[in-house]
Amino acid sequence: MIVPPPHSIAISPVGASDTELLIQVGKEISRIFGYQTEIIPLLKDVDFALDPSRNQYHSTLILGELASLAPHAIKVVAIVQVDLFIPILTHIFGEAQLGGKACIISIYRLREGLSSLSNPEFYHKRVVKEAIHELGHTFRLRHCRDQSCIMHYCRTVKDVDRRSDQFCRYCKVLLEDEMKRLNRNWGSRNPAI
Amino acid sequence: MGSTKILVVDDELIMRESLAGWLYRDGYDVKTVGSGEEALERLKGTRFDILLVDIKMEGISGLDLLRQVKEDDPDVAVVMITAYGSISTAIEAMKNGAFDYLLKPFDPEALGVVIDKIIEHQDQARENIFLREQFKDRTRFESMIGQSKAMQEVFDLIQDVAPTGSTVLITGETGTGKGLAAKAIHTNSPRCEGPFVQVNCGAIPEHLMESELFGHQKGAFTDAKETKKGRLELAHDGTLLLDEIGEIGMRMQIDLLRVLEDGVFYRVGGTQPIEVDFRVIASTNRNLEEAIKEGIFREDLYYRLNVISFQMPSLRERKEDIPLVAEHFLLRFSQETNKPVDQISREAIDEMMLYEWPGNVRELENALERAVVVCKGRKILPEDLPIFRPEYLALPNGNSLKRVETEHITKILNINQWNIAKSAKVLGVDRSTLYNKIKRYQIPKPT
Ligand SMILES: [Zn+2]
Ligand SMILES: [Zn+2]
Repeated sequence: MIVPPPHSIAISPVGASDTELLIQVGKEISRIFGYQTEIIPLLKDVDFALDPSRNQYHSTLILGELASLAPHAIKVVAIVQVDLFIPILTHIFGEAQLGGKACIISIYRLREGLSSLSNPEFYHKRVVKEAIHELGHTFRLRHCRDQSCIMHYCRTVKDVDRRSDQFCRYCKVLLEDEMKRLNRNWGSRNPAI
Repeated sequence: MGSTKILVVDDELIMRESLAGWLYRDGYDVKTVGSGEEALERLKGTRFDILLVDIKMEGISGLDLLRQVKEDDPDVAVVMITAYGSISTAIEAMKNGAFDYLLKPFDPEALGVVIDKIIEHQDQARENIFLREQFKDRTRFESMIGQSKAMQEVFDLIQDVAPTGSTVLITGETGTGKGLAAKAIHTNSPRCEGPFVQVNCGAIPEHLMESELFGHQKGAFTDAKETKKGRLELAHDGTLLLDEIGEIGMRMQIDLLRVLEDGVFYRVGGTQPIEVDFRVIASTNRNLEEAIKEGIFREDLYYRLNVISFQMPSLRERKEDIPLVAEHFLLRFSQETNKPVDQISREAIDEMMLYEWPGNVRELENALERAVVVCKGRKILPEDLPIFRPEYLALPNGNSLKRVETEHITKILNINQWNIAKSAKVLGVDRSTLYNKIKRYQIPKPT
């Protein structure tokens, strides 16, 4: 397994991946969070999380697995093609460990309303926004009521399109708080750095 | 504190955990329990805004829980969760006051819609209460009274702190007069000619807070028909009291910190920076250090506010002041009601001395107000005091006042080796009263 440098965010595609899309996701994540990104396929498949009765994948199980596979990354975001669920809900776009290491997004429902040929940029934007949103959760951010904020919860793909890819001023402050806290903890564990 | 409190009641662990995790990320304060019994236990100690209840559970059913909860607190919104689409039970639940029901697994959109609807509903109710309270007459004569050492120290502190212009944090239980202390600081400060503006952070609904504090520009939102000054602007050249600061939400904490650091803010929808100059006094009955540990209060804001701090003593820490304070209220209420009540009986004073006054001076004030109204002669008797009313005797934790009092007296007696004179002095009561209490409560003397 390739070990990413510390302080990087790992982007982990599962299944056939669109390289151009992954590069764009990586670039945007770097821009927003200020960490390097690495593209590493950590999971061959997510069959272990399949619920045959629902024919969907239980995302919480995948998160547990992901977190243990990326010991050197500060955060890891998986991008899967399959439809995700948590037991109480019919489906979800993604899930994150709040203040934890791992998050996941599914592109399954993000193609909604788009023909595969038309406007890949539009679709890429959706994926980027969802990835930033879920990563935001791993930095302890919760949903924000500001509708244009990236941490606003989107119920539909249309809402995703409407939402910006920026944090509002409140979420910005809370994100900075969490980054400071992480740096402090990192420093105290590694006094030489 | 700001965020809506939700209790998830479901006997299936995986369901309640996945729902709770989802709601938590959505920004709510969420707790879970695995049965109706546990839910009722939980509700004794904490109030929740919303309950999500599985209809089908062992023991107390979802429907029974709903009935019980609505009986205790009709304002709690209960949403039923049903697995089989057993519509008949769900409809039965709606008849019994459920807000809505959801078929599990539910569409995240449906869940969001229901919760938003509830919150809007509850916000509206809170707003109505807030608007009503705002116009209530608050002209009651108020002052701080006390000869106890604890109060003398508070007076000295106020004298020292007032002229400095420093930010002050006043802590203490509800009803101890934190607001009065703040007002006293203001009137003894160089800003006394300026306004004294109070913001009750616990009473203003979260969604109105921003415009209350910062004001808004005409057209900033649908209801903003006129440009309105916020309380911060109104406090210019004076003192701003942020009462119950511990209840303020995260977003407002971030905004307030910025104002305190820069002295500049914007009205909602405004682009013109507004410069303000005021002294800040904050007060709270919460332990803010605990709140910081829980992650619900910002440490940087705490240090901004906690430049000078002091604590208002509870009434039970200065029991020697009770007669004096009671006399003061007696005079006031007899004048207000035009009733010739001018004395408090020795027995009534004794009862007041023995009582713990969890609501402090404010509770004593209310007790005297009622006593003057119900009193039949010129003298307040123990039975005129509300501390005798049966509904008063049940404390929230299920302890009866009698038990609390018995324990307290027993403790003092034991400490003083059952020396009645000494114990009576510590308790602040007459010896004969103490004898009566020992007899009435059958407190056994250790052999
Ligand atoms: Zn989210
Ligand atoms: Zn935000």
